[in-house]
Parts: sequence; structure tokens; C-alpha cells
Amino acid sequence: MQFFRLVLTGVALALMPATAAFAADAELDALALESATETAVPTARSGRDLRFFVEGATGNASQRYQPGSRSIGRVSVDFSLAVTVAPGLRAIVSDRVDYMDPSDPGTDATVNSLREAYVSWQGDGAAGANIVEFGRINLRYGPGYGYNPTDFFRDGSLRTQTTANPFAMRENRLGSVMLRGQHLWSGGSLSLAYSPKLADEPNPDGWNVDLGATNNRNRALLVLGTQFSPTISSQLLAYKEAGRASTLGASATALLSEAATAHLEFTRGSEPDLLSRGLGLPDTSRTRNRFVAGMTYTTLGKLSVTAEYQYNGFALSESDWAALGASPAAQEAYLREAQRSQDLAARQAYLVYVTQKSLGLKDLDLTAFLRVNAVDQSKMAWVELRHHWPSFDLALQVQRHLGEINSEFGILPDSRLIQVLGTYYY
Amino acid sequence: MKYLVSLLFSVLLGAGSAWAAPSADDILTASDAIRNPGRAFSVTVTLTEFQAGKQVDTSTLTSYSRNQPNGQFSSLISFVLPARDAGKLMLKNGNDMWFYDPSSKASVRLSPQQRLLGQASNGDVATVNLAKDYKATLVADEDIQDGDRRTRKAHKLALAAISPDVTYASIEMWVDVENNHPLKARFFAESQRLLKTAYYRRYQPQLGATRPTETVIIDGLNPQSVTILRLSDFVARTIPEIWMQRDFLPRFQPE
Repeated sequence: MQFFRLVLTGVALALMPATAAFAADAELDALALESATETAVPTARSGRDLRFFVEGATGNASQRYQPGSRSIGRVSVDFSLAVTVAPGLRAIVSDRVDYMDPSDPGTDATVNSLREAYVSWQGDGAAGANIVEFGRINLRYGPGYGYNPTDFFRDGSLRTQTTANPFAMRENRLGSVMLRGQHLWSGGSLSLAYSPKLADEPNPDGWNVDLGATNNRNRALLVLGTQFSPTISSQLLAYKEAGRASTLGASATALLSEAATAHLEFTRGSEPDLLSRGLGLPDTSRTRNRFVAGMTYTTLGKLSVTAEYQYNGFALSESDWAALGASPAAQEAYLREAQRSQDLAARQAYLVYVTQKSLGLKDLDLTAFLRVNAVDQSKMAWVELRHHWPSFDLALQVQRHLGEINSEFGILPDSRLIQVLGTYYY
Repeated sequence: MKYLVSLLFSVLLGAGSAWAAPSADDILTASDAIRNPGRAFSVTVTLTEFQAGKQVDTSTLTSYSRNQPNGQFSSLISFVLPARDAGKLMLKNGNDMWFYDPSSKASVRLSPQQRLLGQASNGDVATVNLAKDYKATLVADEDIQDGDRRTRKAHKLALAAISPDVTYASIEMWVDVENNHPLKARFFAESQRLLKTAYYRRYQPQLGATRPTETVIIDGLNPQSVTILRLSDFVARTIPEIWMQRDFLPRFQPE
């Protein structure tokens, strides 16, 4: 044994100068490399900031309750434009057109989503900055990964659902028409938004601006953002909509270590439960909590893992969900309402969200998540492999729905979706 | 008697040279002042990545940096290229780090270990005064090859972290004895593993001093993985304190 140790030590010592020489040579080689030439950077003085991409997807969905599978496809055009009209004054337009084949039930094949169209004025002073904005604004709050109780303007904001990835879903949503003022000072901000009722109900017409989806009641939101310390920040929120009591909310994020962060969100308010809303039952408001807490850990190898616990006091309990199983139509209405309002259908749920940058290849990224309904134990698994080129992305996505026939994910008609996506950025 | 005279002589000589020579911390502070302008500024950062000598990626950022009252810098970094990342932002205010994506309107808190920029760490593109976070010791004066492959006489400094919030547990740094120009640095993890080697080169007059405009970063584990960080378009500017917080990120517009 000692002999082998001696041999190994000898080999290591013999190789050491070679290794050092190799490293020194590599450094000399590195110093011979030249940087790419610089690119002119657009500035506010250039007047406009345009982002534009087209995306195509084709795939296949295996049907759980019918034989065979069906083809799925999509083409999307997505752009946003910010123009500086005058010093401190900007106009912003953000729009997306999706052509879906087959289309979602009750919607056109081509659906336009006018996400944002607003003007923004910003004045800087010694005491901070003041901002006034008016128009359709995508106002989003909440550090949660898969569920955001403090994201009060989320309901009805998705005209089409092109992905199950909660992060990508947020990119496609409609803003609400509102007047918004914000004051920013060193270490915090105070924001007040008022969003008026402009229509009674959503409009399914594909090219409609669909104010009824986001502005079907008067709403107001007050938000105080604070930075407790370099490692803890928080937001306090007060939300009020016509005919209901105020809902109070709070969120916080914290840096736990060199590699770990944590987040939480909490709201408490009085409103009808999810089933009453899904079935259109008379208003039986009750006071309940919504809650999210999660932690993200990142390794030196660029692997990030987030685990999140989610709670919705307005969702059905285990026994109520089991009882609802006797009425598939009511169950479907319940789940549709959860999807429409981007609320959590389960009383308790878990999410594990994983990203791995440079998976084997430098420009190959893996994103995957698993949603678990802790009440009925059904699951949704989603995996994406995405390769980047300078202006083009190619992605493979696989999505699985697992669970009993009367469970949240088991009730979905497709058991597995596979699709390939190509995205070209201009 | 001979011993006493010798001791007295050496003590006096030692004290005299200590009185005259700058301390290792002074050298580090002076080299920080070469790397970083002493005021708020913006700079265009071009990152070029190489694998085995072949260029595999390039990206462009604009970094806005501001001196904080504690002597450290905070930086707001705006992604310009590639097109898929245009408009995304990273904020680094000490260890208070955020990533903002204008598409999803999401501000995500980052841990220092989360990297957004390929091989380069977030700290590589942010402005950092090492003297605020490290205690320096002069190890030796020695000849080394600088980033432009010329031989230079350099102070070799050993830097040990004095702040718990730093990315590197220790650093070896070579600083030109003539002008305090940083020439080379080796960055180590707590396990003493070499994380990266950096060469500072292409010195040019920028914002009142001759400063390095390129850093060649060589991966510690895989020396074939190299990133060149080029700085251009230095502009001295007023950067308000309110820029350096999460709630400003949705408000940012390039200037």
C-alpha cells in the first residue's frame, strides 16, 4: 500500500512541472487573443429602443382519454418599442400576435395581445424621482417563482397560453389600463395605481384590445418598497377593488449565503372562494390567506435549484375537491377559473424549478420544473433544452401531466406534449 | 557588542525603509485608483469568450458605476447584445444583487454565485475596490510577464478577505513597482482552488489617468476557457443614488 502511495506521489511530483508549464503556456496563448470589436451602443439620444422576435413551434400531444395523438403548432410575432418623445417623456408599445393550430376552445386561431401602450413621464429632483404613467401598463409584483399572491393584476391577463413555464407566461400577459404615480428615493419607493372599469367582460375576438379582460372593475393598488438591509428587501401592498374589502400583502427576499437566496409572499383578504367564482355562485366572501415561500441555491457549476411551497386559502380543501369529483363539469369550471385568474387550484402545492446553464455545451441551457398538487398528488413536469446562437434559439420542450382522472393535472386531455421551437431575434 | 551594533543597524535600516516605502495596502489602494475612476462613470463592456483559442461568444453591456459612502462602488449593468438579452439589467450594490427582465417585469434577487455572463463573474463587470474588502501583504518584488507580454518588475501582494461578503477568499496580485499599474491577479476560492487568472493590459488615458482597458480572464480549472473584457467609451457622469435599488430597475432607460 505504502509502495503505491509512494509511486503516486512520485508521479504527481513528476507531473507537477509539466502541469505548471502547461498552465503557463495556456496563459501565453490566452494573451495572444484579441477582443471582438466594440459595437455602437444605442442610447436615449438615439430616440428609440426596439425589440423584436418571431417564433415558430411544432409538436405533438398524446391524448390521455382518446386514441392517438394530435399535432400542435404555433407562430408568434413579438415586439416592444420605447420612444423618447421629449426629455423625461417616453411612449411604450408592446404587442404580440399568436397563431395557434389548433386554437384554444372559444378563441380565434389568431390572437393579438396588446400588452402595453402607455406614456411615462419621469422627473428627477434632489429628493428622488417622480414618475407618472398612463395607459395599459403591465404592473407585476411578487418574487415567487410559480405563484404570486401579491401580483394583483394577474387575473384575466393571458389571452393565450403558449407555455406552461411560469416565467415565460409572464412575458405574454396583458397590462391593465391605469394611471400610476411613483416616488422613488434612496432605498425605497411608494407607488399608487388606479385602474378603472372600462368594459363589462372579456372579448374573445382575436384582434380586440380586450379591455374587458383586465379592466372589468375599478381597482387600486398602493405599494411601499423598502430595503431593510443589504441582504433583505420587502414590499408592503394594499389592494382594493370595487365591492370588496381591502386585501393586504407583503413580500420579501433575502440573501442567505454566497449561494442561497430566499423569498416569500403573503396576502390576507376577503373575497369569494375559487369554486364560487368558477361556478358564478352568489358572493359569499370569506377572509383567507395566500402564501408562498421558497429558496434558491446555486452551485459553482451554474446549476440553480428553487424549491417553493405554495398555499391558497381560497382553493378547495382535500375533502371538498374529492366531493367535487362527482361533478366533472363543476371541476372543469373550477380549474378554468384558476387558470383564467392565474390562481392556485390546490390548497397546497410545491414547485421545484431547476436551471442549468451550459449543460455539456457552452450555449446549451436546461430549464425544468415539477409542480405537485399536494392535495391530489397530481403533477406537471416540464423540461426544456435550449441552444443559443447569436440571433437564433432552438428549443426542445417536453411536458407531462400525471395523476388520477379527477385530479388537477390528470383531468387535462393531453398526457404528454413534445414540441420544437425556433426563435429568431432581430 | 558586534551583535548589538548589527542589531541596532538592522532595526534602524528596517524602520527607515518601512517609513519610506508605501505599505502593501497603500499599493493596493493606488492600484484600485488606476483600475477605477474616482467618480461616477459609465463604460461600454465588450465580453469576448474563447474556447481553445477559438472565439465562441461575444456580448456587449453598459456599466454605470457610482461611488458609495463606504468607499465601494455600486454598478448598474445594462445588457445591449446579443439581441435576446437586450434591455435586461443587473444591479450590484455590495451583495445586494438583482436581475431584471423587462419582458417578464420580474426582478429576481441573485446570490453572488449566480452568473449571468458566461465565464465572466458578475463581479468582473462591476466596479470593485479591492482595498475595501481585502488586507494586503507584500510577498516579494519579482519580474513577471504582463498582459502585453513584456517583462515588468512588480510587487507581488497577497490579499486576504476581511469582509465576509466577498467572492474570492484570497487573491495574489502583481502591481507595477514604477506606477502601481495592476498587471496580473490570481483569484482563489476558500479551498485554495485557483478560480481564475486575470491580466490587465492595453493601458490608455481614460478619465484623468492611464487605465487598463482590457482584462484577459483565464479560467482556473480550464485554461483553454478565456474571456477578454474590453472597456471603451468611458464617460464621467452624474449617477443618482436612486438608480442603485431594485425599484428603479423598471424605470431605467439608457442615457
